Amino acid sequence: MQPELPHPPSDAEFVGLLTQSQLSLLLYVRSLMPGEADAGDVAQQANAKIWEKRADFALGTNFLAWSFAIARFEVLNYRKRQARDSRLTFSEDLEQTITSELQQIDDDLLSRQEALRKCLDGLKPESRTLLMDRYGTTESLSDFARRIGRSAGGLKVSLHRIRTTLADCIERRLVSGASQ
Amino acid sequence: MTPEEREELIDSLIDGEIDEADFLRIEAEMSVDPEVRALYYNRLKLDLLLQREARGGVDDSESGVAQVVAPAAAISPAAPVNILQRRLTGIFAVLAATVLGFVAWSVWNPDSIRLGSPAGLAGKLEPTAAGFAILHGQSDAVWEGDPLATGSLVPSGPLRLLSGVAQIELFSGVRMVIEGDAQFVVQSAMLVQLDRGRARAQVPEAARGFRVQTRHGDLIDLGTEFAIDAGDEAARVEVLTGEVELQGQGAAPQRVLEGDAWQLSDAGVSERSDSDSLQVIGPDAFERQLSSQQVDQRRRWQQRVASMREDDRLIAWYQTQQTSADGRQLPNLAQSDSQTAGAAAIVACQPSSDRWGQAGGALDLSRTGSRIRVDVPGEFGSLTMMCWVKIHSLDRLYNSLFLTDGHELQEPHWQIMNDGRLFFSVKKFDGAEGKRRRPDKYNFYSPPFWDASLSGQWIMLATTYDVQARRVSHYFNGAEIGSEAIPADYLVPRVTIGPASIGNWSEPMYRTDPQFVVRNLNGSLDEFVLYSSALSGSEIAELYRLGNPAR
Repeated sequence: MQPELPHPPSDAEFVGLLTQSQLSLLLYVRSLMPGEADAGDVAQQANAKIWEKRADFALGTNFLAWSFAIARFEVLNYRKRQARDSRLTFSEDLEQTITSELQQIDDDLLSRQEALRKCLDGLKPESRTLLMDRYGTTESLSDFARRIGRSAGGLKVSLHRIRTTLADCIERRLVSGASQ
Repeated sequence: MTPEEREELIDSLIDGEIDEADFLRIEAEMSVDPEVRALYYNRLKLDLLLQREARGGVDDSESGVAQVVAPAAAISPAAPVNILQRRLTGIFAVLAATVLGFVAWSVWNPDSIRLGSPAGLAGKLEPTAAGFAILHGQSDAVWEGDPLATGSLVPSGPLRLLSGVAQIELFSGVRMVIEGDAQFVVQSAMLVQLDRGRARAQVPEAARGFRVQTRHGDLIDLGTEFAIDAGDEAARVEVLTGEVELQGQGAAPQRVLEGDAWQLSDAGVSERSDSDSLQVIGPDAFERQLSSQQVDQRRRWQQRVASMREDDRLIAWYQTQQTSADGRQLPNLAQSDSQTAGAAAIVACQPSSDRWGQAGGALDLSRTGSRIRVDVPGEFGSLTMMCWVKIHSLDRLYNSLFLTDGHELQEPHWQIMNDGRLFFSVKKFDGAEGKRRRPDKYNFYSPPFWDASLSGQWIMLATTYDVQARRVSHYFNGAEIGSEAIPADYLVPRVTIGPASIGNWSEPMYRTDPQFVVRNLNGSLDEFVLYSSALSGSEIAELYRLGNPAR
């Protein structure tokens, strides 16, 4: 077969690519902005920008790398706007490493989600409720702790334990699922 | 730093609760250690997924936009950039919101080069089922343990049919009628172990060599129909057509011809002295018997329906075998004074067999665009939706059961997610106000109840919306499979329906816009019932018991 020269994708092809990489893109933006509630908004901004620049993308080249570069730029832009806030950010080197590693990372989020559902079923009801309440709100951890009448420190420990239980359970399920 | 400390720091980092000193510590670790970074990525993924789970996963009404995103995104290049951007931001907000549900299948498409497609993944995503046979039919069958549903896969492992008759169809083509009391194991499509009981098998040419294993020896088929009665002392065999071979322990194989009666015992293979026929019903006769029983059951069900039609709580009762003279409308059978729904219109559906096995008694909705249109004026407090459906596969993200046109305030949506969960919601808030922080409705999901082993089987689904008890409950084949309290913020005391579709969804623009999302149910429907009240669990169990053809 004759290799095709890189050409810009049709809109439909482009939307397909973009749709496929949504999770990775979100994961990437969040990895650069840990703990920041605005990560979702920045990811959306990045999406709009990626769409705007769609004519620049050549089919057959690495879409993820291309879209990550745009997303990174949006993260930097956001930081510039929020300069007064002076959030903690990773070093330039670490951000580069994260960028290249997340471009390679296996997209196993679907099987992870399935495993997570089963693992959630196995949690004690009170742990599950606590977790769902926490993740169902956009409040900061301390606001949430205050609202449910617990200390922030104690809550952090509880959440950490539940997450670790879940993470272990997910890994176990993924391993046993893969060997079937 | 201990692994435990690392995890704690990473969680604090992701929670946005880390102080500067700890930030620098974890950053240093991450900079030098790929394992710490891997841990960070995994924790981020968990965080992302937990957030999706907690926020109800995929937003129902907006996914439609995601599914038509390609045409919607192909906006004229002449459109001013700022408008384009605004529209796209909306679209991508939706994409982000629907990413797990909608994107899941396309992202993990095995053809996707980007993923490097681990070999096992495609296999994992392909639906699987296990078994060598299906339970083709049963009559007064009583099983030890859980009852087996007609049409379901025969489980592996020992089975005990205490009484009654059951017919299994092995994937090799062998049809076998088993009479209780019997104990047996389907070892493979070519081997059934019969420890006790009577059976009769019809073996097609393609399954020559089919074997029945008894405690006294084996029967090997050579293209035939035979009966066998496995007892404690001996296994008696009778060849009805063709021939079989008997292999006793330590004895030479013995061919047994049509009309002959032999037995396997500890003494070996011998001709039987008794001339009693084993008298096990054959597969053909049993099927005729089942089908006449189903006709009776169907008639009895219709009589029950006649007496239930006057229930004041009924809004609508549609039976797909009861069509108007031109076959395009389903009359509303509900006769309550308060009922307001009219006849339903059949759009693009094809006739198919109903759950009683009657040809043309049900409607197949699998053709794209198929639907049954209804109009239900008025306001209701609680609701019960119930239907009998046969699903081929859940191959759309949303598989419609009953959806109002669009999804306006106070309107219910009832469908099945592609992962086999029942879904019910009533829209509480207008999407325009504060949609960034608050979902416009609460989605009530059942645990997954459907998998590929149920494909092609008639099942009864029901969901109740109980305003008084503030609860939504889901039922599968008459049994509750999930029940959840309605959060106070999301209680809608008066539900409205209006124009709606059974088995499909119509977006508000369906009258003028040819684009539509594919959401029709890939399967058939033969009954749909709507009550203006939440039926109790026992009422639903009773509806299932009476209306279940596979008894």
